[in-house]
Amino acid sequence: MKSPMKSDSVYGILAEFNGTGGLLNAAKLVSKAGYTKWDTYSPFPIHGMDDAMNLKPSILGRIVFAHGILGFLLGAGLTIWTSSIAYAHNISGKPFANIPSYVPVTFELTILLSAFGAVFGMFFLNNMPKHHNKLFNSERFKRATDDGFFIVIETDDDLYNESKTADLLRQAGAIHIEPISA
Amino acid sequence: MSTAQPNTYWRSLNELSHNDEYKRFVDREFQANATELTDGYSRRNFLQIMGASIALAGFAACRKPIQKILPYSRQPEFVVAGNPLFYATAIPFRGAVTGLVVQTHEGRPTKVEGNELHPDSLGGTNVLQQATILDLYDPDRSRNILLGGESKTVAEFSAFCAEFFTSGKRVAFLSEATSSQTVSRIRRSLSSRFANSTWVTYEPFGEENALLGTQTVFGSKLRAIPQYDKANVVVSFDNDFMSSGPDSVRAAKLFAKRKKVMSTQDDMNRLYVVESNYSLTGSNAEHRVRVKSSEVAQVAFALAAAVGADGFSGYSNAHSSHDILNQMAADLRAQNGAAVVVAGDDQPVSVHAAVAAINVAIGSVGNGVTYAALPFTDSANQNEAFTKLISDLKAGSYDALVMVGTNPVYTAPADVDVKGALSAVGTVVHLSTHVDETSAALPATGWHVNRAHFLEAWGDGLSYTGAESVIQPLIQPLFGGLSDIEVLNLIATGTFTAGHDLVKTTWGTADWREVLHDGLRKGTSFRAEAARTASGAGQAVRSLADGAASVDGIEIVFKPDSKIYDGRFANNGWLMELPDPITKITWDNVALMSPATAGQFGVEYPRSSILRAPADEEPMVSITSNGNTVELAIWVVPGHADDSITVYTGYGRTHSGRVGSGQGVDVHPLRTSGSPLFTSGTVTKSSNTYSIASTQDHHSMEGRPLIREATLVAYKANPTFAPDLVKVPGPIDDNGQAISLFNEQTFPEREPQWGMTIDLNACTGCGVCTIACQAENNIPVIGKNEVRRGREMHWIRVDRYFSGDVNGNPQIVHQPIPCMHCELAPCEQVCPVAATTHSDDGLNQMTYNRCIGTRYCANNCPFKVRRFNFFNYPKTFLTEGTDPEVVQMAMNPDVTVRFRGVIEKCTYCVQRLSRAKIESKRETNSVKPKDGSVKTACQQACPSDAIYFGDLTDSNSTVVQTKRNERNYLLLEELNIRPRTSYMAKLRNPNEATA
Amino acid sequence: MSQTSTYVPEKPLVEGNHTFGSLTALIGDITEKPAPTWWYIAFGISNLLLGLLLTMIGYLIWEGTGVWGITNPVGWGWAIINFVWWVGIGHAGTLISAILFLFRQGWRTAINRFAEAMTIFAVICALIFPGIHVGRIWLAYWMFPFPNGMQMWPNFNSPLLWDVFAVGTYFTVSLLFWYVGLVPDFATLRDRVKSSIGAKVYGFFALGWTGGNRQWQHYEKAYLLLAGLATPLVLSVHTIVSFDFAVSIIPGWHTTIFPPYFVAGAIFSGFAMVMTLMLLARKLYGLEDIMTINHIEKMNLIILVTGNMVGFAYIMEFFIAWYSGVTYEKAAFINRAMGPYAWAYWTMFLCNVISPQFFWSKKMRTSIVASFILSIVVNIGMWFERFVITVTSLAQDFLPSSWGYYSPTWVDILTYLGTFGLFFTFFLLFLRFLPMVSMAEIKMVMPQADPHYNESKGGHA
Repeated sequence: MKSPMKSDSVYGILAEFNGTGGLLNAAKLVSKAGYTKWDTYSPFPIHGMDDAMNLKPSILGRIVFAHGILGFLLGAGLTIWTSSIAYAHNISGKPFANIPSYVPVTFELTILLSAFGAVFGMFFLNNMPKHHNKLFNSERFKRATDDGFFIVIETDDDLYNESKTADLLRQAGAIHIEPISA
Repeated sequence: MSTAQPNTYWRSLNELSHNDEYKRFVDREFQANATELTDGYSRRNFLQIMGASIALAGFAACRKPIQKILPYSRQPEFVVAGNPLFYATAIPFRGAVTGLVVQTHEGRPTKVEGNELHPDSLGGTNVLQQATILDLYDPDRSRNILLGGESKTVAEFSAFCAEFFTSGKRVAFLSEATSSQTVSRIRRSLSSRFANSTWVTYEPFGEENALLGTQTVFGSKLRAIPQYDKANVVVSFDNDFMSSGPDSVRAAKLFAKRKKVMSTQDDMNRLYVVESNYSLTGSNAEHRVRVKSSEVAQVAFALAAAVGADGFSGYSNAHSSHDILNQMAADLRAQNGAAVVVAGDDQPVSVHAAVAAINVAIGSVGNGVTYAALPFTDSANQNEAFTKLISDLKAGSYDALVMVGTNPVYTAPADVDVKGALSAVGTVVHLSTHVDETSAALPATGWHVNRAHFLEAWGDGLSYTGAESVIQPLIQPLFGGLSDIEVLNLIATGTFTAGHDLVKTTWGTADWREVLHDGLRKGTSFRAEAARTASGAGQAVRSLADGAASVDGIEIVFKPDSKIYDGRFANNGWLMELPDPITKITWDNVALMSPATAGQFGVEYPRSSILRAPADEEPMVSITSNGNTVELAIWVVPGHADDSITVYTGYGRTHSGRVGSGQGVDVHPLRTSGSPLFTSGTVTKSSNTYSIASTQDHHSMEGRPLIREATLVAYKANPTFAPDLVKVPGPIDDNGQAISLFNEQTFPEREPQWGMTIDLNACTGCGVCTIACQAENNIPVIGKNEVRRGREMHWIRVDRYFSGDVNGNPQIVHQPIPCMHCELAPCEQVCPVAATTHSDDGLNQMTYNRCIGTRYCANNCPFKVRRFNFFNYPKTFLTEGTDPEVVQMAMNPDVTVRFRGVIEKCTYCVQRLSRAKIESKRETNSVKPKDGSVKTACQQACPSDAIYFGDLTDSNSTVVQTKRNERNYLLLEELNIRPRTSYMAKLRNPNEATA
Repeated sequence: MSQTSTYVPEKPLVEGNHTFGSLTALIGDITEKPAPTWWYIAFGISNLLLGLLLTMIGYLIWEGTGVWGITNPVGWGWAIINFVWWVGIGHAGTLISAILFLFRQGWRTAINRFAEAMTIFAVICALIFPGIHVGRIWLAYWMFPFPNGMQMWPNFNSPLLWDVFAVGTYFTVSLLFWYVGLVPDFATLRDRVKSSIGAKVYGFFALGWTGGNRQWQHYEKAYLLLAGLATPLVLSVHTIVSFDFAVSIIPGWHTTIFPPYFVAGAIFSGFAMVMTLMLLARKLYGLEDIMTINHIEKMNLIILVTGNMVGFAYIMEFFIAWYSGVTYEKAAFINRAMGPYAWAYWTMFLCNVISPQFFWSKKMRTSIVASFILSIVVNIGMWFERFVITVTSLAQDFLPSSWGYYSPTWVDILTYLGTFGLFFTFFLLFLRFLPMVSMAEIKMVMPQADPHYNESKGGHA
């Protein structure tokens, strides 16, 4: 059930913290409080943050594995099919399906497709590219890619309450709090 | 093994000096007999051939032959477009004709082969004959009759002849040697019409001395006709009879018959050669005596004395005491007639006289050699007649001079003022294929008549052995042009008669069709003369012998080039680019000398540094003789006689054409009528250097078992010495092959499986296979600079290695290397685009259209037989010259012309194989042609039948027999690439007495 | 990519009292400040050389492969030598980003960014040669397996084809790896550049990166996986390049030691090249705090190790040649050391085996000058190694009759010079417009990055 006091002109509430330690502790409190639509922002990944926010492990590994299999099949299929079926020639008296010669190509294609999986899979999971993000409405937030450590809790969160949420963040040690306009 | 390997092969010429230290290094680093491959062999080291400029020059093939012919609106008889026709004809050269069969495509001669019916060809050819096609299509040939440079019509010339050559005119005829019966016939009417006329035969390297020699002994000019097939022992005094002389094809054929050792039961002949320069024949000798050319006579006399020749009783000289001489004599006497002694045309009369006396003494007349009178020679000494003629002309004793062929301005000795004679006589007629030096020197009133190539005009002649042959034209004259008989007849009668009628008049009509079909009148030949020693011959010869003097100090020896002869073939790109059989030099002539002689000119030898800078050039000597000086590059030939320098004529032409002009150095200025064969001279080191394009610069086999050789005795003791030389390690599969890591592809039953065997014992190394291949497969000529870079395009090359003592008398071995068509070809697997694959009939195919030119296959070929088109040689050719279409006509329409950026190589003449398979399929419904019905170009051309080719699935085929022969071995067998081309080991049959 | 304090006790990886902000400024400002004069001069020269390269290629395509010095029997010359040389250099980047990452070598963060950049540009230089060295350049695309009307396919037995796949994959993956690493830094630049165009451009490439931990989670996973994939890849690439030689039957090429030997050589030359560039960059841009002597020493140690691996391979080749008992094999190696190309062989030996030995001394390892000189010497040596392998083996193979000496033409030489133009044109643009040090990663290896940083300080107080 939605909070009555929620205003639509606000995207979320931005709180800045002091250094990685501060952010980590705050994250623990916020997640303990049960918020879901929130995230911590830092210029670099912080060790232990995933646990602090208790995030599920990334599923990227499975995506990459699938691509790897695909690449392997593509490589093996291409080499064997072309050399022994589509374009079979007596070359140096070697068998048409001269498997050892096909290892390098198969291997490279496996790696290539796995790499595609890793990169584009990551973009997909991070829903990138996304050039317009409400977060960018906050001047202060720019420092998230420099030396700022922030928590943003979205107004869409069921538990969101303008004052309560702000208090929570203040208790968590926020050195600055501001709303981010939608 | 040691018996199988009599010679310790020495390293490359240039670092033999490093031999010992190097060997020490080797022994320290790698213990000897660390491998079974190296036993009994020395180890290898290094020498390089360099290229410098990347400029592009010379001839090349063309993209598509454009044929200037009319469509067959009315189909001529027998002609099926695309199928070649073959006609018999004969090629005249130096007064003898050799029978040919010429292949024509849609009326366009494309390839010459030997005429098997012809006793002087027996199906073989030599390099000059193979290359004559390119002479026919030489765009630089003269295209008009010229009077003082003005072009005239045939009618105008006929009018002139009719008007000028009135009876009684004092006409001098200067002709190249010719045996034409029609010419002889016309000469009779000439001499009757022009009472005060004279006819002189002029050949810079003619057989005059030989004839005068026999004249001394037998009282009349007789031609010695060696019967090599009957001779167990052959002694050659400076006679390079295997090279490109008028008798070379027959000689090679007959000589090879005696070298075909197919089992330990067979015997073979023995060859002694006495010479200064290392000749092709010398390289095939069992025993080679290296003496100065001017000393050869002394050896001949000593031999004459040793065999007790008439007039030599009590004679002896410095050579008489030599063991080899007496062994030679004993060997000759022991054959009771089954032996022959021959002397080179480049030797003085005395030698030929002595040789004739020897042949008589050893009883070989009518056995090892026959003597024949020539119907067309004059009794007078033609060498003297020539000099006399020139002075008479200057004296104004003649109204006109008619030159049939010949190029005296270029070829005449320096002291014979031909130019002066030409201007003195005024009215001159010069029949010549090119506007050459002589035509260019004609006075304003001199006529140059463009001569027809023999494939364009009717003619006839007698072969070296006297077979009456007819020269049948294959094509209308490309540039107009008259034949010698037409011109002579015109002068004789004042009216023009077609050559065909002239020849037919001579020959009569009885067997005309048969003659044309066979190319000769069957069974005709010179009558063998009894050749009895004339009275007083002995004293005559003896006086010659006593009078003979050899050149003190350094002698300069003049030899006709083995490819362009006296320069008459200088404009032939195929010949120019054909590597010399011994030096492997292309496009140039050099000063050939021994290591010791080179040392006199400060040429360090072997050179101290084994490195050759890219721009490295050869040092030069300047040779001064008779007041003239020429500069030539020094080229060291181990085994050349000391204090002797051999120079080849025919180079340095000024009016030869695009190819020949300016190539090499003209050495004629050094020759005088007094000493046309060898002369003394002062030789000094020049400060200049000169770049030489040689296709093989490394002369040692590095102790590798490439050419396997044994004496006949050693072979009989151990028949399988050759295959035994290399033991391939590792297990053997069911087919006796070394095992592979994979299951090899198999070949379908229905298909023939092509294979080749090359008999190194029969092969003389003449290089005709290279030219035949070039003619058959449209191989481009790329020019000197490209050859220097090492980019020669020949599909089959002849490797040449020296063995033995570099400073002494080393031996030479030759090995033709075509593509081996390996069953497990290393070249195929590395091509990224599968442009080279294996066919069902076992060919290693090259797909030009698919090739992108990575050159990986060439790198990975252990025999380095793959050739790369570094530039667009064809395009260069197409855009150069007056009208390239002419040369395009020389191309074989059955063979693709390759373009820039693709690899090419020997195909076993796949175009011939396919044609044969189609024929066979039509006749027998099997694609396996019957044995002998298909020949590769190299095989067909080879005058000594050293190449066998055929279907390996036909167990009775000759090629299978040779593969089963115990001398048969595979080159680089240890690589397990399974070449389809194999070799039969070389044998030598040295005189045991010398051992 | 989370770092723990376990390895912090070693030398600080960033010197000077830097804060996160000051580091961002130190690196980020370079892209905003006007470029120094030397940059324009260097860029101009590079462009001239690049023009030279294009001219030479044009001339080559117009005239034909014959304008090079290649001949029979030496069908491969400088083109292939340069190809292998550049690809070798191109190995350092991915190695540093991938393998050192997996080994948790924090010090890599100072150099991985432009080592990767160098890799990509070096591989571009390398890729030119297989394209232009073929006889019919306009058909080079036939090496790719694409369906076509002629229904023809390439020959997968050919090492050259393996090359196409290996180097192609390597280039693609390196590029992706590099870009992924750049994304957070693009975001940083997006958020700090003054010019709106700059912001738009950097923003475009930042793909809307926010630095949220939910992004960092997948990002780190992706980076880890890429590193795991790139590690076997980087090892496979030069292995396969070495197959070009090892799979043939030419004595001196047909050698099983080639794969490890080539890989070691590649790392060797790659690190040397990184060293050369790094020493210049740190001086010219005053990055001494980030690229410390400590870094230089670590890299010199790797150069020393790989150099000795290469030296070991040289000696092993000779031993095996003798041990094999094959005449041709033996001769090939004797020729290398004693033959007409001995000068090349001993140049190689001096540069690759002797010169790195100086790094046994700490004094040399930590000397900027010594490191700079030796890094260049090493790459000269590595070029000669490829020359020796390619040319000497072909020049003197089985049949002495076909032996021939190879010498380059002016076209060969100028083409090679030209590739430096290409390389430095790209590299200078990179220095000018991209952060040459990974800002996000360098911050991670600062002590402040550790969440317990303050507590531990408090604990001591």
